[in-house]
Amino acid sequence: MLAIKDLCVDFPVMTGIVHAVADVDISIGSGKRVGFVGESGSGKTTTALAVMRMIKKPGEVSKGQILLGETDILALSSEEMRQTRLRRISYIPQGAMNSLNPVMRIEQQIWDGIVDHEGAVSRSELKRRSDEAIEGVGLPARVARMFPHELSGGMKQRACIAIATALKPELIIADEPTSALDVITQRQVMETLENAQEAIGSALILIGHDMGLMAQCVDELMVMKDGRIVERGAIRDIFKYPEHPYTRQLIASVPSIGGESFLPNVSATTANGQKQGDAPLLEFDGVSKVYGGGFFSKKGNTALYPVSFALDGSRPMIISIVGQSGSGKSTMGSLMLGFNRATTGVVRFEGRDMAIMKRHEVKGLRRHIQAVFQDPYGAFNPYYRVERALSLPLRRFGIAQGAAEIRERCAEACLGVGLDPARIIGRFPHELSGGQRQRLMVARALMLSPKLLVADEPVSMVDASLRASILKNLYDLKDKHGISIVYITHDLATAYHVSDFVIVLHEGHVAEAGAPKEVIGDPQHPYTRLLINSIPWPDVDRQWGTSASAREETARLMKDARDHPPVDRSAVPGFVLARAS
Amino acid sequence: MTLATMASENRQARSLDYVKGYLARNPSLAIGIVLVGSLVLFSFVGSFFVDARMARPLSAAPSQPPSPELLFGTDTQGRNLFAVLVYGTWLTVQLGLIAGAIGILVGGSLGFMSAYFGGWTDRIINFSTDVLLTVPALLVLVIIASAFREGMTPTMMALIIAALAWRRPARQIRAQVLVMRNAGYVDTARISGAGPFEIIFFELVPNLMPYLVASFVTAVSAAVLASIGLEAMGLGPQNAPTLGMSIYYMMNFSAFLLKMWWWIIPPIAALIILFVGLYLINTGLDELANPRLRRRA
Amino acid sequence: MYLIYLTKRLVMLFLVVVTAATLNFFIPRLSDKSPVLEKITEMSESSAPGSVNMQELLVIFNERFGLDKPLLQQYFDYLGDMLTLDLNYSITSYPTRVADMILAALPWTLGLMVTSTLIAFLVGSVLGALTVWRKDLKLLQFFVPVVMVFSAIPFYLIGLILIYFVAYRGGYFPIGGGYSLTAFPAWDWEFASDVLYHSILPGTSIVIASIGIWALGMRGMMVTVQGEDYMNFAEAKGLKSRRVFLRYAVRNAVLPQVTQLALFMGQLVTGAILVEIVFGYPGMGSLLLQAVDYLDYYTIYGIVFVLILAVAVSMLILDLIYPLLDPRTRHHRA
Repeated sequence: MLAIKDLCVDFPVMTGIVHAVADVDISIGSGKRVGFVGESGSGKTTTALAVMRMIKKPGEVSKGQILLGETDILALSSEEMRQTRLRRISYIPQGAMNSLNPVMRIEQQIWDGIVDHEGAVSRSELKRRSDEAIEGVGLPARVARMFPHELSGGMKQRACIAIATALKPELIIADEPTSALDVITQRQVMETLENAQEAIGSALILIGHDMGLMAQCVDELMVMKDGRIVERGAIRDIFKYPEHPYTRQLIASVPSIGGESFLPNVSATTANGQKQGDAPLLEFDGVSKVYGGGFFSKKGNTALYPVSFALDGSRPMIISIVGQSGSGKSTMGSLMLGFNRATTGVVRFEGRDMAIMKRHEVKGLRRHIQAVFQDPYGAFNPYYRVERALSLPLRRFGIAQGAAEIRERCAEACLGVGLDPARIIGRFPHELSGGQRQRLMVARALMLSPKLLVADEPVSMVDASLRASILKNLYDLKDKHGISIVYITHDLATAYHVSDFVIVLHEGHVAEAGAPKEVIGDPQHPYTRLLINSIPWPDVDRQWGTSASAREETARLMKDARDHPPVDRSAVPGFVLARAS
Repeated sequence: MTLATMASENRQARSLDYVKGYLARNPSLAIGIVLVGSLVLFSFVGSFFVDARMARPLSAAPSQPPSPELLFGTDTQGRNLFAVLVYGTWLTVQLGLIAGAIGILVGGSLGFMSAYFGGWTDRIINFSTDVLLTVPALLVLVIIASAFREGMTPTMMALIIAALAWRRPARQIRAQVLVMRNAGYVDTARISGAGPFEIIFFELVPNLMPYLVASFVTAVSAAVLASIGLEAMGLGPQNAPTLGMSIYYMMNFSAFLLKMWWWIIPPIAALIILFVGLYLINTGLDELANPRLRRRA
Repeated sequence: MYLIYLTKRLVMLFLVVVTAATLNFFIPRLSDKSPVLEKITEMSESSAPGSVNMQELLVIFNERFGLDKPLLQQYFDYLGDMLTLDLNYSITSYPTRVADMILAALPWTLGLMVTSTLIAFLVGSVLGALTVWRKDLKLLQFFVPVVMVFSAIPFYLIGLILIYFVAYRGGYFPIGGGYSLTAFPAWDWEFASDVLYHSILPGTSIVIASIGIWALGMRGMMVTVQGEDYMNFAEAKGLKSRRVFLRYAVRNAVLPQVTQLALFMGQLVTGAILVEIVFGYPGMGSLLLQAVDYLDYYTIYGIVFVLILAVAVSMLILDLIYPLLDPRTRHHRA
């Protein structure tokens, strides 16, 4: 149905010509689902854009042929190409959040596609068809009259699917359709997309980087790297017998729950904790956080409902706080760091209330509570060389004096996380990769040897292939240096592998807590079950989304999750979670 | 010569090359600097040839067209118009610099405080700025200037204009700091034990530098604009030959009806060069502050 | 929600007006002697012995600002007067009331300003949008740097240049005034065309000086909008180019322009006033110039107050219209 032959796409740059896509051959049968997988810059999106004839200047197709049925796409006039888009091939671009025109109602955005392809259509007919399209993607009919900003991310993406399938095209191209969505919504959206595709019997190209998602959604897979297809085949075969090393690396980088640890060489022995005195290292006593609620608006937004726990710290532990965006997990992190004040309750560090500390006490405390942040790009001031991030705390906390000693300490820290100081120190942040920067942040924490480290989504913005090694660096902090770590993440699989205790947060409440083997391995709370069911496993045999029963189950679990009391699993020595009253 | 000084000279030479290369890529900054620079240079060099007293009335025969002795002729009250241009340009630029500097200092501090501390500090500062921004500056200045008309000097003018020159910088810098305050490196500095003032001056200000300079240039331009407006209404310093005052005299004494083109053209030309120059510098700095590449990424 | 928003905006309007009145009240008191009192005294002394007009004004002044009353009470009395638009008498043309003088001048200013601002806004926005959309039109690309330079030059300097080249050298248009000295003001075609003829040059100066602001703003926004995901999706939907341009690109790019219009209102009024002064156009600007010339304080204060009020009200109107253009700012009727 779609045949791409010898396709090359070139982008002229200062130093010559970049072959964004080189010698790509693809043939897709009608009704088939094909995945394009690869990291950014691998040419997967460019190939799709070539099919749409939407490659931005100065890039151009330099060679090859694209046939859609009998039609030679590259030979069409621009008006003919315009008529082909949406009617025969539709493309759902990346960034669902912003793909809809913010000043037009959803139904108008369906109508204009119909009118521009079919000419004048009566108002009632338009209305009938837009309602049909909207209901076809499982949205209530009233969404038709709404504006994009009134919809949630998942609803917007479904509205895009409604638009893209309204004219029943032969081929749908979905470019990372769930990249900005949480796992539960991701599962629902993928389900919608597959149903819509099956209903109109079109072929589907799914572009993405997540092997787990591919395993759940496509029949065939094209693995792309540097503009070329390095491996192709039926999805089952690729997972069973991956041939190309890159494919193997992609599959290995997806952690799965259960099985052997995906962290290399984890030792069993651990260093002693950094605790001094009798009081627990970190204690939350009925801590809650409400944002807003100022003079003008009556009610604030509760990010975290009262929670109490104590992390003893005499034995170093990794505590994972798991939840979707808006669950309150980052709020907990910033409360621990003292960036935010608790609305109610007390946060204590070594028995002292952080809110009433004197200025110099706070400074003394700072050294002992350190952090690794989510965004390795923003964490460094672009104005300075990267070593400032390391040397500033050394000077401020009076750990090292004199340029020579500071330099030595920094170099030591770099070596500790496997970075070559000669190639790192003295660079500006933009000259380093995201992975290098994030490692440098870990090195920074190591150098200060704090008592507590808050790691807020430390690997979510790092390339998949580097995640394991950075998590290993973090694990070593606990393991070799006795630092207790609070690991904040949305990723249950990594939490399963690295942590000693897991807290699952749902809309500001603790849903379930306990040892990871129990909480994640055998979830009891409906919300935890829902989260785990929604993860796209890199397991071809698992039924993830298509069956109607899965959808019913999701709806049921979502309903239950609201009112279900927190589930407190068996205790783990060193960490006490008090039941919130 | 020690190695260190060699290295530093080398670096200086390199940074000079870098600046040259940058200006070639940013023509509006280059042209702007040339325009404003040559105007200031003209004023500076000219001051060696004419005396400030020659810019006063009755210093020469009135209504003389340009001649080798009187390069730009004289007006109906016998001012040497070349001297007026030389001293007027500098007075006007100086006035803009003073008012602009005060505006950016006061406005910048308010903007930083407002954005960085938030809460009630922010609400109060922001609301007052909002209310005052609604008020057209020139109108308020008219009231102030008309109350203090007697004995107005260029410096007083600058101070009066500065009274309202802080509003826009305060607003703009607040917006910038609000964005930057959430930058990850601010959090990194906080957990590194840096205090609020260290964060403002060592983390935020360096990154805001091109922006602050652009804001300053805008403030200077706005201050000159306001001063000329006041002067055109006759509210300027009566005894100082600023460019705005020459425009006032020229309109008031009907230079157009008298067909004295040499009286009309020079101050207008000088002001246009000044405004266009400042505008181009500003556009160039804008490019420096948000290069498109960075914006796209 | 909308009610809260509306209340907030009205409170702001009220505060702006109070601020304006407060400035009028206190600034003259900042100098050690009262310039107003001095002026009235001076006028009453210099007026012919037979006429008692100025003495009357002096009585009114003392009554109204009775210096025996506490300052705070004087202030609140004054606020009350201003809020009821009682702007007092003109000092130089007593017993004419300032409000009447302003009423006579205001239509000229409004007519000139509103028309030329609308023209500049529309033409500038369209040109700015087209420079981005139609990269193939070379003439338009040339146009950008030109308007860029013009937007840097203040209104009144453009006015002076036009007077010099078009009126004085070319003689195509009158050098100034609102209508010919020989014309007789009446509601007929002859007078209307004379007024129009006189308003062309001042109007053109405002248009030339401000067109660049809108063109550049629109150009910048169009570039931003073109990078938006919904533009990409619109192209992928195979929509007709005209629709993508008007309903997707322009429709979104014009929104910040409207916000800009509200923010620039003050600058536009100031610019227009100075243009009137340059052209001797019989609006608020010339009235202000005259008042400043004779130090007719009440007239100065009255004009400033009315203009500040006008700017604040027009900003309020734009703010209230804006939600109609941008659904995102429409507050839900919860």
